[in-house]
Amino acid sequence: MDPTVIKTLLGDVAELTGEHIVLVGVSCGLAILIGVGLGIAGTRHTAVRRISVTLANVLQTVPSLALFGFLLPIPLIGGIGRHTAILSLVLYSLLPILRNTIVGIVGVDPPVREAAVAMGMTDRQLLRLVELPLAAPAILAGIRIALVTNIGTAVIAAVIGGGGLGELIFRGVASVNTLEILAGAIPAAVLALVADAGMSALERAIARR
Amino acid sequence: MERGQTLVLLGRSGSGKTTALRLINRLLEPTDGAIHLSGEDIRGVDAIALRRHIGYVIQDFGLLPHWTVEQNVSLVPRLLGWPREKQRARARELLEQVGLSPEIFGQRRPHQLSGGQRQRVAVARALAANPGLLLFDEPFGALDPLTRHEMQGQFCELRSRYDLASVFVTHDLLEALALGTRIAVLHSGKLEAMLSPDEFFDATTPVARAFLETLPVEFSSGRRR
Repeated sequence: MDPTVIKTLLGDVAELTGEHIVLVGVSCGLAILIGVGLGIAGTRHTAVRRISVTLANVLQTVPSLALFGFLLPIPLIGGIGRHTAILSLVLYSLLPILRNTIVGIVGVDPPVREAAVAMGMTDRQLLRLVELPLAAPAILAGIRIALVTNIGTAVIAAVIGGGGLGELIFRGVASVNTLEILAGAIPAAVLALVADAGMSALERAIARR
Repeated sequence: MERGQTLVLLGRSGSGKTTALRLINRLLEPTDGAIHLSGEDIRGVDAIALRRHIGYVIQDFGLLPHWTVEQNVSLVPRLLGWPREKQRARARELLEQVGLSPEIFGQRRPHQLSGGQRQRVAVARALAANPGLLLFDEPFGALDPLTRHEMQGQFCELRSRYDLASVFVTHDLLEALALGTRIAVLHSGKLEAMLSPDEFFDATTPVARAFLETLPVEFSSGRRR
């Protein structure tokens, strides 16, 4: 095979892998902020919990390709480009993080919470010293699911011009070029495996604390 | 109530013992009536500050599982912003007081302790910031009879050493008689009788009588002679 073709392809892989990591990193970061924040608010106010979980549930049931499609015609937040891709990835990652945050905090042993409150902790102290540390394994597990799923879903972002490794795959599919398909699919799979292993190590480190 | 005294709240499950206790540190708010502590209506005191000056021990320990024994005992001093060294010294002193060597147990986690040891830690934690009042909610209910007996002995020791005022919830008459300076018999959320342990044997109210009938016959008649 022509070495210049290989060289261009490798260059594309490196660049698109970088884009992919940015897509996933930014969307996961935002999803963690929103998901954990809403989750905490949800444990304080039942209305927030009901509305946010229902909304996140509904969003999760929309097929990812369709979610990208829905956002396309919406002015300001929608349209072609990276920001639309990031928005839909955020929406798509919310549920596992939100739900695990709530489950983790609500799952704190009642006597532990009662004693902490009875000893004179403020609500902030209860959250910072008791609830978040004890919910950390559950929250991390949620982030892990969101992150790994997100790496796969981000491939489809190429459809709406979001960039990332999906570009190579779609290009390869369109031109029936197996090499290009693999050049997109293999790095995406490796990214997912690395992310999963990294999160698993983090979970173990937290559990050992 | 005065220092060195223990008011026991005695009653069957659902009689309002725990509710009464939780009203004192404002985990619950009264719909009617008032509670005074050191001459002050507690509704006028900030609930958080109030709780930091009232020790609280519950049956299920409520120790923070991710903290060491020493950190657990230092909880209230930490909330009050004591210097770290003072927190540590106080925690070690109290662990010593409740019969746990700080060298052996200080760095352990609650799950590495037996039930009796956990309850000792919980008692040490309640005492840490020199509270003016201690609340006990069936603290020894989950312990085996021998450990319970030891803990009751220790309770009396600590009470005289620190001159503690305490409110103690139980449904065990023997415990009430052993620890109480006054025994309040509660029934359906109402105070049925207020008796000293000696008066209790001549009680005439129905729930107090019912409690007496739980004692072995020789024991109760022996005391009455």
